[in-house]
Amino acid sequence: MSNDLYRLVYYSRNAIIGDAATLAAAITSILTWSQVNNQRFGITGALMFNSGCFAQVLEGSQSAVEDMFERIQQDDRHGDVSLLAFEPAPTRAFENWSMGFVGGSIEDAARYGVLVQASGFDPARMTGEALFATLHGLAIEEEYSNNAV
Amino acid sequence: MTVASHHQNFVRERQPLQAALTEMATAVLILDEDRQVEYVNASARELFMPVDPIGCTLSALFASCGVDGGDSLFAAVNVNAEPAQMRLRFSDERLLDGMLRQLSSGGFVLSMDDVTTYVRNAELAERDALTGLANRKALRDRLVERLAVAARTGQELAVLFVDLDRFKAINDTRGHPVGDALLRKVAERFKVSLRDGDVVARLGGDEFAIIQSDAPQPTAATALATRLVDLIGRAYAIDGQIMHIGASVGIAIAPKDGYEPDVLLKNADLALYRAKDAGRGCYRFFESGMDEQMQLRRSMEIDLRRALALKQLELVYQPQFDVASNSIIGFEALIRWHHPTRGIVMPGEFIPFAEEIGVISAIGEWVLRTACKQAATWPIPLSIAVNLSPMQFRGGNLAKTVMSALERSKLPAQRLELEITEGALLDYSDDVVNVLKLLRNLGVVVSMDDFGTGYSSIRNLQKNSFDKVKIDKSFIRGINTSVENQAIIRAITSLASTMRMKTLAEGVETEEELSSIRAAGCDQVQGYLTGRPLSAEAALTLIESAFLAQAA
Repeated sequence: MSNDLYRLVYYSRNAIIGDAATLAAAITSILTWSQVNNQRFGITGALMFNSGCFAQVLEGSQSAVEDMFERIQQDDRHGDVSLLAFEPAPTRAFENWSMGFVGGSIEDAARYGVLVQASGFDPARMTGEALFATLHGLAIEEEYSNNAV
Repeated sequence: MTVASHHQNFVRERQPLQAALTEMATAVLILDEDRQVEYVNASARELFMPVDPIGCTLSALFASCGVDGGDSLFAAVNVNAEPAQMRLRFSDERLLDGMLRQLSSGGFVLSMDDVTTYVRNAELAERDALTGLANRKALRDRLVERLAVAARTGQELAVLFVDLDRFKAINDTRGHPVGDALLRKVAERFKVSLRDGDVVARLGGDEFAIIQSDAPQPTAATALATRLVDLIGRAYAIDGQIMHIGASVGIAIAPKDGYEPDVLLKNADLALYRAKDAGRGCYRFFESGMDEQMQLRRSMEIDLRRALALKQLELVYQPQFDVASNSIIGFEALIRWHHPTRGIVMPGEFIPFAEEIGVISAIGEWVLRTACKQAATWPIPLSIAVNLSPMQFRGGNLAKTVMSALERSKLPAQRLELEITEGALLDYSDDVVNVLKLLRNLGVVVSMDDFGTGYSSIRNLQKNSFDKVKIDKSFIRGINTSVENQAIIRAITSLASTMRMKTLAEGVETEEELSSIRAAGCDQVQGYLTGRPLSAEAALTLIESAFLAQAA
């Protein structure tokens, strides 16, 4: 049934070209867009980002997740999408929509921290903690490996 | 004529005119000099229901149907003193062609025809029903128009042909509804990749085409092709499953690659063919010469399909020697194609092609039967090595074919050696392992060909328990000067002997190479030094002299 609860987890390479201000502007627009649309389609989850990558969890009905993922796939601001999971989920691991900056650099953390606070990001309150921890680790690894390229 | 009868005639003439105006299908509105509606016929009244047009301005009336610009029509009439035309799209999706004329008696008449069905049908005739993209006919029509414009402006124009890689497999295994959903998503990805004015069409199946005009070429086509390969190659989530396809793109640019629509389309297709040939998931521009190459290919395909029947294929036999005793131990059967105009064609030039067009199984079977039959005539029981293509493992008939060839020729299985490359193990691993096991149980010797050039996986050597490893000639070349090559050969021979496999060095050309190979511990040798490939007769003569020497 396409109304069954599904969870999709991916991470991708950040393809936003430009300085920190450009990235911040792009992230703000992604955040705004996500908040509006995810609520509309009953999607919860988390988006993590840093200068190297995005990592995202989407939860919702199968069709809503598939549609949202298709929108995301059509987005030029990222590439090299690696899917970690796409499967039925018994319950939602994320109650709301969360977004977090998970970069390694302190400078970046200060720069994007404002955005994150505005999104109400609070890892401690997430029930999908284990999933989050995994993605978090991955995102940090990816940031460094991308910077090395 | 009296005044009264004149009046009667006038009324008699006017009555049908009046009726026609009132009842005609075209909606007619007459406006006074203040541009307010003072008369509507029945069609016009129906058109604007429930609004009563009488006394309305055109702007107000149009606005009630969700259309802007009633006033601009008057402006057009006043400037040109000619009828002004416009297509109106009502908010309920009705389409009307309107014409406003100034009346000689003062005021204006507006006539409106409902063209909704006509336009929709015309649009439908130009659309692909599944994806809503343009269809093949529409693409060609647009191309004719765009080429005419480009010819006037001197601008370049690109045609891109796009084929989906692996789509057919998904459609076959996951079902047509999933295939259709996938095509609709692909169509969406095309749309987001294009600029306004670009035309994208589905030509049928998994073939698409794009017209890109008003852009600097070839940079714009390169950018678009790169984007399409990236975007279409991204994963799809459909029906609870993730699937991956790829895109191959061929590009032709007018006027450089042709200014006739059909030539341009054909050249984009040729370039697409080249992209697929280059491994798919990439783009290629048309280049002059592709056409000739394609024709050459087609004629070669026809020739190759006939080669077997016309008995143009021949086997030659290259001797293999035991390094320690310096005695002949067998031959490798090698194929040659005697082409009527091209002369002798080597296997490297036509076997990959035979694999691609699917005639390799027939050729492989012929090789196997011919080699077995020939070896069975030899006076001493030397071995005969035959190459197998990975493709021959498809279909599951290989073991049966080998058994039948042995049976017919009465050649003992122990004298037959089958050579396979690692590629076979990669593509059809499980099947291959099972077939090899079966054949080895019969006593057939199995050797790994060209070892060192492919993945050279030691695991492959282990799990298939080959009887022999043939070390590729690239390691033999320069063995006297390259310490590395010596080390590699030593490593292979010692590994092989531990796994109870023989080693054979290919391509030995000099005495120095032979002594290095002997020192490295190779068991057997094959190459120009010990003997070039011989005809069946010459091979038999060689065997007979070896037989006599043995007997002496």
